[in-house]
Amino acid sequence: MMSITYPHFGSLTYLFEIFLNELGRYDIVKPKNPSRKTAIIGSRHSPEFICTPFKIVLGTFMESIEAGAYELVMGGFQAHCRFGYYWPVLKMILEDLGYDFRFIILDQTNPVEFLRVLKNDVSDNLKLFQILKTLRIVWNKFCCIELVDKLLSRYRAVEFDKGSSELVAEKAFKLIVEEKGIRNIKDLKKKLPGLFEKEVSKDTKVNPLKVAIIGEIYVVLEPSLNLEIHKRLNELGVIVDTPVSLRNYVDFEGIFNPFKKSHKQITLRKAKHYLEHSCGGDAQASIGDTILYKEKDWDGMVHLYPFTCMPEIISKSILPQISKEHNMPVISLTIDEQTGEAGFQTRLEAFVDLLERKKESNCK
Amino acid sequence: MVVKLTMKVGIPRALLFYKFFPMWTTFFRELGVKVIVSPNTTKQIKTESVKHAPDEDCYSTKLYFGHVMAIKDEVDYLFIPRFGSSHKTNVSCPKFIGLAEVLQSMFPDLPPIIMPFYSTAKSGHGKRRLIYLIFSIGFKFTKNPFRIIKAARRAYKEQKVHYENLILDEKTLHKWEQTEYLLNNFLSPEEGERPIKIALVGHSYVLNDDFASLNIQQILKEHGVDYITSEQLPRSLVEKQMDKLDYNLYFDYEREILGTIMHFIERKSIDGIIHLIIFSCGPDSITGEMAARYAQRDPSVPLLQLTFDELTSETGLETRIEAFLDLSRRRKK
Ligand code: SF4
Ligand code: SF4
Repeated sequence: MMSITYPHFGSLTYLFEIFLNELGRYDIVKPKNPSRKTAIIGSRHSPEFICTPFKIVLGTFMESIEAGAYELVMGGFQAHCRFGYYWPVLKMILEDLGYDFRFIILDQTNPVEFLRVLKNDVSDNLKLFQILKTLRIVWNKFCCIELVDKLLSRYRAVEFDKGSSELVAEKAFKLIVEEKGIRNIKDLKKKLPGLFEKEVSKDTKVNPLKVAIIGEIYVVLEPSLNLEIHKRLNELGVIVDTPVSLRNYVDFEGIFNPFKKSHKQITLRKAKHYLEHSCGGDAQASIGDTILYKEKDWDGMVHLYPFTCMPEIISKSILPQISKEHNMPVISLTIDEQTGEAGFQTRLEAFVDLLERKKESNCK
Repeated sequence: MVVKLTMKVGIPRALLFYKFFPMWTTFFRELGVKVIVSPNTTKQIKTESVKHAPDEDCYSTKLYFGHVMAIKDEVDYLFIPRFGSSHKTNVSCPKFIGLAEVLQSMFPDLPPIIMPFYSTAKSGHGKRRLIYLIFSIGFKFTKNPFRIIKAARRAYKEQKVHYENLILDEKTLHKWEQTEYLLNNFLSPEEGERPIKIALVGHSYVLNDDFASLNIQQILKEHGVDYITSEQLPRSLVEKQMDKLDYNLYFDYEREILGTIMHFIERKSIDGIIHLIIFSCGPDSITGEMAARYAQRDPSVPLLQLTFDELTSETGLETRIEAFLDLSRRRKK
């Protein structure tokens, strides 16, 4: 049996599973939630000063291969940063460790190749039109998953019964995974906000702070790496949002509706004045979003980036200027597998304190 | 009497300067501009670098900050190109693109920065863009378009000559590999014995910055080593090696580095390879790992990887090099 696996990537992990199922693959080794141990074995075999996501992906693949996986699927495209090298380096390392496996690389920047790989290497003998159909389903489910994440990061901050929003989110994810048919999925998406509204009882007294998280996509979206920052902020009573999304890399809506301005285009326009050209990764977006959220009247930004991440060191160096010129508090935190919880928590609390004081003095 | 003021343009002696200095300096000089290049890296420049640059940045980028600080007060403009790539599909390190704007943002008091953006891979830039850039910079300093064209021609020629002098042709390389030809002709090898041959591999701005590389070229010379640098390897041979990979090494300058290492691992024509790695360099974290693993899979040519940062000590380095040269010498016999 040639079992297939993929990296762990926050709630998008659900999406990858859905995707494979839609393509007729049920022989899946689901990646485990990355643990301390995953990070340790990953970094033991990783290059010196490689960026942190690499170590987690390596550790995850090692665990999955040991659990019986043979085909490893991951993205890989050429940008200004290292992401496109992940698979060749991973391949060499895993080979040298003596594992038996095969890589399947999906490059969404090259649609023809992307579809070819899906059809020939991943899917269970599907026809091209069937694959296109699954893409539509997967995209819509992706929108649902993203919405649940958003709702969770909002409701958890104001929930009355601790843990109730997470229960709803879990239920929602399950519904999304199981739902069939494009109509039903679209309907489900409309129902999701109501689900949270109905089932989470809110603490109505509070007037919560609102903070957006920006930065490198993997560290922002993978809770096991970012020490569950969304939850931590929520528990401090802060509503959290993140503009960081897979959308910034694959934009289906943009393909079907070229007149709609994507979020990415809007942020890039805002960032232009400070960082005119793409430096890879999410650097320009981090800058543009800070300005955008200020305009939407949010209270502050948390900028996360993995240790040695190239694009985000650039944005981190420019963000202080943005923060000053737009009067928007920003805290930049670098994260790697050794980031300690205690220090991290203290810094978040101090930041939230600062925002609270700022808000109070503004109200007066 | 009117005193004619010449404009001064400052260029930091760091990063891509080491690749493109003939072109850049000639261009401005021919426009009648006084070009001020920061001095060779010194301890003081390093101290300034560490003080001003972001902590997590790679050592080479940090040094750039020090070089900017060294000349900022005496120039009217700084010249910091935003260089994306000059290859159809391959790119360069993103830091080259972001650097100018990072400096401007962190130090608003710097003199105005001339920051032409050029990127073939991502923006499809070519000759037209180049002409546009040449004129838009040129007109800052002269009204005479012919002068600009002439300056650009000269600059281009200087760069070409520089490459021609630097890069070996395949025949010369072959002769060197056969020990029929010495690259460092100051040597006086003992009768009948050939000097050991080493490839010194790394970014131009490390290889040629004696302070950053802790004088490694000098150390090798003193030990009677006949070395070749990755800059000298014919591009055709680099590309030949790159074609063998099952992935595309899309950082253009890393191709030179990994290509040189792979070439010599395959040919086994030398006694050792020394690979200079920059601490916290993104691209090096990739090529460093690849090189180490290729060398491990085919260990006939020993590989020494040295990591450089602001704390690397000269004595430690020398000991490691000596031990390595001993090993290479023993293998040679
Ligand atoms: S964006 Fe940063 S962390 Fe992500 S792959 Fe690129 S360099 Fe690594
Ligand atoms: S290639 Fe490496 S050393 Fe050069 S600027 Fe980029 S990160 Fe720094």
